Amino acid sequence: MSRNTSSSGALSHAYIQYPPLKCKNNGSRGLFYDDGNKLLISPTSNQVVCWKTSPFTPTVGSTSDTISEGPVLSVRYSLDTKIIAVQRSNHEVQFWVKETGDTFSQKSKSESDVILGFFWTDCAVCDIVFVKTSGLDFYTYVPELKSLDLVDTKKMNVSWYIYTHESRLVLLASGMQCKSFTGYQLSSAGIIRLPRFEMAMAKSDANSKPVLAAEDVHIVTVYGRIYCLQVDRVAMLLHSYRFYRDAVIQQGSLPVYSTKIAVSVVDNVLVIHQVDAKVIILYDIFADSRTPVSAPLPLLIRGLPRGTNIPSSAESSESSTLSNDTSAANLYSDDWNFLVPDLVCDVATGFLWKINLDLEAISASSSEVPWVLEFLQRRKLEANKAKQLCVELVGSMIIERRPLPVIFRAVNVLVSSFAYSLKTGSYSKSGKPRVASSDSEDNGNSSNGENLMASEDHQQLNVTSAAIPPDELYSSVFASVEEEMTADASYLFAIVLEFIRSASLEKIKVHPNVYVLAVRLLGRNHRYAELGQFILNKIIEPSKEVAQELLETGSHNIQTRKLGVDMLRQLSLHHDYVVLLVQDGCYLEALLYARKHKVNTVRPSLFLEAAYATNNPQHVAAVLRFFCDFIPGFGTTSEHSTYIRALADMPSSIAV
Amino acid sequence: MPPYRKQILIGRGRGDQFQSIVELPKVNDKEVVPWVCEELEKILFFHPADLPFPAQLSVIGLSEGLITFTRIFSPEAACEVIEAEMHSHVFFEPEPDIWMVMVVEKSKETEAIFRTEALRTILKEIHSLFIMFHGSIRVLLDKEPGGGLTRSHLHTFIMDYLTDFLMGNKFVLPNFRDSLKERGTVQMLTVGREAAIEVQSLVGALDSCMANTLGYSVILFQDLLVSTTLSPEDTTNLFSYSTLRLTPRVLSSSSGGTSTWSYLRKGTTFVPSHADLASRSASNLSDENYRVVRPLQHGKWSKGKDGFLVTDIWGVEVGNLVPTTPTLWLQQTEHKMYLCSYQHKSLTILLLIPVTSMLNGEEGITSLKQQLLENVSTKIFKVEEKLAKGWGGENAYHVKGYRYLLVDGDRCVSRASPPGKVTTLTKESLLAMNKVREDVDLEKRRGNGGDDEKDLEICIRAKNNAWVIAKGTRGKELYIVLEKANETLLYASEAIEKFSDRYCNGAFSLD
Repeated sequence: MSRNTSSSGALSHAYIQYPPLKCKNNGSRGLFYDDGNKLLISPTSNQVVCWKTSPFTPTVGSTSDTISEGPVLSVRYSLDTKIIAVQRSNHEVQFWVKETGDTFSQKSKSESDVILGFFWTDCAVCDIVFVKTSGLDFYTYVPELKSLDLVDTKKMNVSWYIYTHESRLVLLASGMQCKSFTGYQLSSAGIIRLPRFEMAMAKSDANSKPVLAAEDVHIVTVYGRIYCLQVDRVAMLLHSYRFYRDAVIQQGSLPVYSTKIAVSVVDNVLVIHQVDAKVIILYDIFADSRTPVSAPLPLLIRGLPRGTNIPSSAESSESSTLSNDTSAANLYSDDWNFLVPDLVCDVATGFLWKINLDLEAISASSSEVPWVLEFLQRRKLEANKAKQLCVELVGSMIIERRPLPVIFRAVNVLVSSFAYSLKTGSYSKSGKPRVASSDSEDNGNSSNGENLMASEDHQQLNVTSAAIPPDELYSSVFASVEEEMTADASYLFAIVLEFIRSASLEKIKVHPNVYVLAVRLLGRNHRYAELGQFILNKIIEPSKEVAQELLETGSHNIQTRKLGVDMLRQLSLHHDYVVLLVQDGCYLEALLYARKHKVNTVRPSLFLEAAYATNNPQHVAAVLRFFCDFIPGFGTTSEHSTYIRALADMPSSIAV
Repeated sequence: MPPYRKQILIGRGRGDQFQSIVELPKVNDKEVVPWVCEELEKILFFHPADLPFPAQLSVIGLSEGLITFTRIFSPEAACEVIEAEMHSHVFFEPEPDIWMVMVVEKSKETEAIFRTEALRTILKEIHSLFIMFHGSIRVLLDKEPGGGLTRSHLHTFIMDYLTDFLMGNKFVLPNFRDSLKERGTVQMLTVGREAAIEVQSLVGALDSCMANTLGYSVILFQDLLVSTTLSPEDTTNLFSYSTLRLTPRVLSSSSGGTSTWSYLRKGTTFVPSHADLASRSASNLSDENYRVVRPLQHGKWSKGKDGFLVTDIWGVEVGNLVPTTPTLWLQQTEHKMYLCSYQHKSLTILLLIPVTSMLNGEEGITSLKQQLLENVSTKIFKVEEKLAKGWGGENAYHVKGYRYLLVDGDRCVSRASPPGKVTTLTKESLLAMNKVREDVDLEKRRGNGGDDEKDLEICIRAKNNAWVIAKGTRGKELYIVLEKANETLLYASEAIEKFSDRYCNGAFSLD
């Protein structure tokens, strides 16, 4: 997978993929987004047509429900999708129970009490909340009575409100400038009232009092934290506020380059659309840093069909709309509605796009690799790709021989990220399903391109973390760069050591192969004295693999060989140890050891050959005697008689 | 080939021992020189220098005669020791045809019971340290056949070295009481895996500090080695020098502070009144023409404000009085290296940088120091703290019930019971151990011809009913004294087994 092809050569860090989800139906009276159920809803005069947007599949079919005719100001399904609620006017919301077809409505009590909107909730105390100019009404649905039961109200003047289902937070604007806010979070624990707070508004001159509009305030959820972003059109700043249980704290401001700002969140990355300038700035506000992830770059449409290359499956009606598709100028048109968290709906065409991050482009745009790795490690949506990119980045860093401190930081990032994923359990979960899903991908891999994309989506859902387990880091980074680093073994060794250090700090077990590599690299530079220290201090943990590498390296250095022999003994690898002793000519010690530790897997002939090779009849006799005494029936074997004869032929033989 | 010469270095102390150096012209040299002069020429060093020449010559003559005689039947390895009625002559040939001889007077005093090999290791250490700072004697002589420079170097060097053995006005050499010590080996600090990794990470940082110079680093904690990137031989030499002159203990005692404990050489702290021993007698012998560097001179090292150790032993830069960076020779690579030492609390860090790779000399060293302070010092502090936390103190390596010495000959490393614990042993036990070690030395030397890694085991019951045990296997040796132990041999061997499993990774458990 090379970077150039996938980013289509164009510079951008976010893209939308063609084809979009086409939410077009005859007689549509506008498009509504039900973020509680992630449905895009297009009501007609007597029908509610809706498309599932999660998981996002352009080929998804619509479902429809019949309602009675009438105006539609807003429409939302209950969270169990059994009831449809349609706001008919400023004073009335009508309900359909899908199963029975029953209907009922809820009206505001007075003419002056305007219903601004409503939303369903999974909060413990109520099912649906009405936002009115006079405050909030909390209702529960009573199926038996087919009506709503008012459980609580909060009285206050409301100019406008914003709500997102993912944050469960409703922000109510009030005051002359609409910059005074009250917030309620409808969590499963109950209704939490946030302290009242004011948003900052710069004045162009002393007398002007700008009024804050609803479209200038955005609730965003990143890394499970809730923020509010507010556009200050005068100061050209995007102020951010973070919501805590008991406080709202301003977090600083980001510069904006457009009076119209839209905000999406893709995989916990803030995507700030500078609508006028038609560029995007990305922020990853995981830490306190407010540095953008990258320079402002435009949004890209990928996979756009060109010329005659029209999808054969396209319906005749659709081919006419193709001309609309191809006009990329549609980007950031006035008809674009940004839906929480990462969707864009073009209300003119009914096209729903999903905004994606181009991880490859982002990682290629920064030379600060440890930082990029941190960024990639936090990605969950395309965890597999992020992981692959991390592996490539580290590998190329080493091959390019970047300064060691930078590489150390990169290694630390990857190791601590893995440790974190172990702690949170996101890694262990992703282990098995990944294999299963890749199987299904292979099986269902038809020629249909759209299918492939769907299964990719499926796969991404399973891999929830980009964390790289140490084994994989070894096999796909260290082992693969080793060939190229033969001339610079000490450089690679320093990296391996830092890896071991990092893993030890995080209490992660390191695969024996890493230690084997460490031994090999030290041996290559003839750093035998240091190798000894590493073994004795157990920095290189003992294992059979390491012992064998020590023996191998020890062919150039007897001390190192001894370390290997000792390691075999300490690991109680009796068989290997005895064979080695025999190889070294210490067959008498080997026999003693074999007897003590009851090693009976080594053939007697091995010892006899070794003893015979010394040309010392005493030794041969001793070994023969040993086997006669300790192996029942050895005296009758052919080996016995062979060596008795051999012994007799030796000069100055001694009878057994 | 330069004309064949035979040099003899003889040691002999006043009352107890003598030392000296002699240089002899080739026998069939055409030059006609008076016989006495010819003989005296052989001497490169002789101590005591005030011994009349005829007496010196008789010592030399005897030694030379013994060497020549023993060479007849053992050309490869001539005599190592000759025991006469009144004296022992200990011989050591550090370089071809350069001989060091130590003559030790036998005395009725029972304290004067020595182990030959222990005395030979002193000669070895003198020579190793000497060539580390001055290069080999042979090369010095080849450079300057007159030998004047060599003589003055040897004289100041050995006299500076010997001050460490001076008690009052007598030399006190290691005797049987030191039989659970091994000179010429390194004592290591045992650290846990985590600390060890931190140390190695520091080594890596030091490496990158020295960048492409192919330098080496040695790290000590107190008087114990923590890490080294040098070969075992060079490590041993540098370790010896550091524990003699550089470690915090030495610096604090020589700067007038109260002498603290010494892990290595308890009771041989420096006696200031003899500091100028070398210079006093040097003036008798050496010409004023030679500038002699005296690396072992006492009280010359001190810790600077920036943490680097400074000395004017190698002179000062003309003009600004900045001390010249010390240099030394590595035995393994024969490279000349700058020695740069940094100390933080108990941690001493030695950096060795090849002179050839430091093109801008002192300037390069200064910038290296700057880099170390900027990039590595926090790491150094961290490591020091970690090691200090894990350090068990003076008696860290004491094993209850055992008095032991463990030597790893391959890696030149030893560990022993702390000196304070060894002194609790009775004289009989120590004498028995001295004897056992003498026997093991002999056995090892015999085996030298072929398989030098013979396993051996000696287990004796001393007069005082103590068990004195020596075990050797694959280059490792273990010596143990068990006093107040059970009388059965089985008990003793089980005790060894237990010790071996617990503290030697089972190296001696093979039976």
